[in-house]
Amino acid sequence: MFAAVSSATLLGVEGHRVTVEVHVSVGLPCFTIVGLPDEVCRESRDRVRAAVMSSGYPWPTKKVTVNLAPSNQRKVGGGLDLAIAIGLLIADEFIPPGATEKFGFIAELGLDGSLRPVAGVAPLVAALDDVHPVVAVGSRHEAEVISSESVFVGHTLRDVVEALKGEAPWPTPAQDTMAEPLAPLPDLADVRGQPLARQALEVAAAGGHHVLFVGPPGSGKTMLAQRMPGLLPPLSPSTSLTATMVHSAAGVKLPPGGLITRAPYRAPHHTSSIVALVGGGTSSLRPGEISLAHGGILFLDELGEFSPSVLDGLRQPLEEGVIRVARARASATLPAQFLLVAATNPCPCGGGAPGSCACDDGARARYLRRLSGPLLDRFDLRVPVHRPEVDELLAGAPGEPSAVVAARIALARQSAIQRFGSLNAGIPAPLLDSLAPLSPAAQKLLRTELERDRLTGRGYHRVRRVARTIADLDPLAGEIVGEEHVVMALQFRVRLSPLLGGRAT
Amino acid sequence: MTDLAQEAYAAALAGLDRMTWSRLDVLLSHASPRDAFAMVCGDESPRGLAAHLFDVDGLAAAWRQSAAQRSPDRVWEQCCESGISVVVRGGEGYPVVLANDPAPAPVLFIRGNLDQLAGRRVGVVGTRNATGSGRETATTLGRDLAQVGVHIVSGLARGIDGCAHRGVLAVADGAGPIAVVASGLDVVYPREHRGLWEAVAERGALISESPPGTQPEAYRFPLRNRILAALSEVLVVVESRDRGGSLITANEARERGIIVMAVPGALRNRAAEGTNALVRDGCPIVLDSRDVLIALGLDTSRVGAVEYDYRPRPKGADRDLLTLCTEPRTLDQFTILTGRTLVECAMSLARLEANGWVQQVNGWFERAGSDAVCG
Repeated sequence: MFAAVSSATLLGVEGHRVTVEVHVSVGLPCFTIVGLPDEVCRESRDRVRAAVMSSGYPWPTKKVTVNLAPSNQRKVGGGLDLAIAIGLLIADEFIPPGATEKFGFIAELGLDGSLRPVAGVAPLVAALDDVHPVVAVGSRHEAEVISSESVFVGHTLRDVVEALKGEAPWPTPAQDTMAEPLAPLPDLADVRGQPLARQALEVAAAGGHHVLFVGPPGSGKTMLAQRMPGLLPPLSPSTSLTATMVHSAAGVKLPPGGLITRAPYRAPHHTSSIVALVGGGTSSLRPGEISLAHGGILFLDELGEFSPSVLDGLRQPLEEGVIRVARARASATLPAQFLLVAATNPCPCGGGAPGSCACDDGARARYLRRLSGPLLDRFDLRVPVHRPEVDELLAGAPGEPSAVVAARIALARQSAIQRFGSLNAGIPAPLLDSLAPLSPAAQKLLRTELERDRLTGRGYHRVRRVARTIADLDPLAGEIVGEEHVVMALQFRVRLSPLLGGRAT
Repeated sequence: MTDLAQEAYAAALAGLDRMTWSRLDVLLSHASPRDAFAMVCGDESPRGLAAHLFDVDGLAAAWRQSAAQRSPDRVWEQCCESGISVVVRGGEGYPVVLANDPAPAPVLFIRGNLDQLAGRRVGVVGTRNATGSGRETATTLGRDLAQVGVHIVSGLARGIDGCAHRGVLAVADGAGPIAVVASGLDVVYPREHRGLWEAVAERGALISESPPGTQPEAYRFPLRNRILAALSEVLVVVESRDRGGSLITANEARERGIIVMAVPGALRNRAAEGTNALVRDGCPIVLDSRDVLIALGLDTSRVGAVEYDYRPRPKGADRDLLTLCTEPRTLDQFTILTGRTLVECAMSLARLEANGWVQQVNGWFERAGSDAVCG
């Protein structure tokens, strides 16, 4: 007897439909799975067998062959368990054929017959767009935010089989008593002093500019970066969906509602491997940290401590907003549109006021060399952060709360999008003259900076984009970018090289 | 081999393993360099006090081994190739000021012209981690003193040392610079000072007690400092940390009865901790080159003329910010101290920077122009 049941497998952040074909025939009793299953998938043989028997159903003493079609594509994970078990029971004529035509099954089986959630339910369900997904209870929210059809759940294999046979209704799990509210984000009001760094956060959030904080340990670089998610507006519906897909595919815990609505914040440690950061792995091409940060913030603390190859791996996604991961067997395009926030010390000892550095020259030069060149070029904002004075910490008035700043940012983002269709960081250089015209005084200032060789050609364009954002944040400014905006933008371009000794005055 | 100059043997001896200035001094005080080298090689039996040296544990063997690797003709060839001349204490051309030093250098390697030492000499030393104002003071001192014919002795290190000599070289026909370095004269250290190194050798004199090829090992710097101090009539410490190499130079100078002067700095400036301690200990203070000239007993009338300051005087808020700039400050500090907005402060500072009143390094604003007094 033969049966075909729908399920799906994961590649990158996309689900691919898999038809599970089960053939039960007379022959020596055995159970084989073909169709490129990976290790986890192959092991489902034993899980399915135990689950079926623990649920009280007979195991056919016949030759059982399971084919996962299309057979040339690698199948990963345990999400096919349920489909294999159901297919087997149909082929064994325990469930009437035709009962599963309108369903797709995505769940892992426990040896006792219970259904377990799997990673990537959101993209898997998206691949089964014309059938009702049947998932474990724990995956319900995730499946519901994606699926256009109604989602069915079961606690155990027995629940599903009985519902399919019409012997019992589908279980309806109790609605969560009021989805618990999201935990509050760190607020900008906690930051005492640091007016320049606060302004930098605001500009970065409003213009989508990548930002690098340069300052000694204890100056609050990490604290500042953690305030960034609270400043960004909620994700747009499409970004929210993509972010949910990525988190689901990576098996990262989703918020209670199932949908990611807040800008994600990812802070990988500097020992992270390149695969952990950009994504990959042998068969499933798991999304990396940069994809998990899609629509939100990637915070790299101690930027100079990351291995150079990892940092180089960031350059292409920073330019294109996607990362193409290719392996011999498969390739995938993963979303990676993130705001890069990085922090570094100016030298190994942390530096401080001029003349207070305790590093020897070689160490300092080595440290700065890791940060040099193309990577530093990607940061529109390079912000000096200093340890606040004791008075500021103790007596300083709390700063503006995040909500007030976020409102200003939302307005600025809106006007940028109305003007050009994207945030200011994305304005191409040739359009700067029409989109960010300079006042005569501002023009003169930038001219002197260029003449004094303190600004490169690329730096010039970056300063103009940042100045555009600062003007957008200024309620008094019009369409013309004024001198004061350019002056502020120049404050956000700290130069690291003069820290090296031997500079002529 | 007998046709080689005595200096060649001295140069080879100076480069032996475990050779120190005192050992070399003992060797050369009892024998000519050629004989001393023969003793080291074992061709001649040690004589006089030098015999005790050969009793030191393993020293004779170490010397003999490294002498086999450093033949005098090779060392001499190296010196000639790099244009380095060698003078031996007691021999011709050895600087008189060093001849009776308590810790003399028995052999010196020279590039450039030692006649510089006949003039008036002021040592200018300081930290490598100098602040902008320290650099500027060093440059100004170098320039002003060179202009009135005083030779600047310094160590060609990063920071203050380099700035002092840059100041000297900025004067077209001033007194030539004198540099005492720790490495061999063909080993430029720090490497970014190659241009400065060559310019000093060309316009003045470059002195080392190490033969060509010697690497700048850390222990050589304090030894270098004693020669630097001995060559100075007055030693000016521009900026130094509480435990800086310049304080070693200052001590060497004091032991030789040389006047040590210090440029005071702001209290919280780490780069001025050492110099401020010197001031507390009673060192005369240097504010500009006139103070040094008075210490030298020279006529100060020619440097009295202050150049006209062309910088536009800051007004209003800009002036307030400049007055606050007594030590390096950040934009954040200005905002908090004045209560003005970030943009206002940034605008003021941008004007001050454009007019040359302040300079910005890594987010810190420092006052520019050493004599920037604004009323």
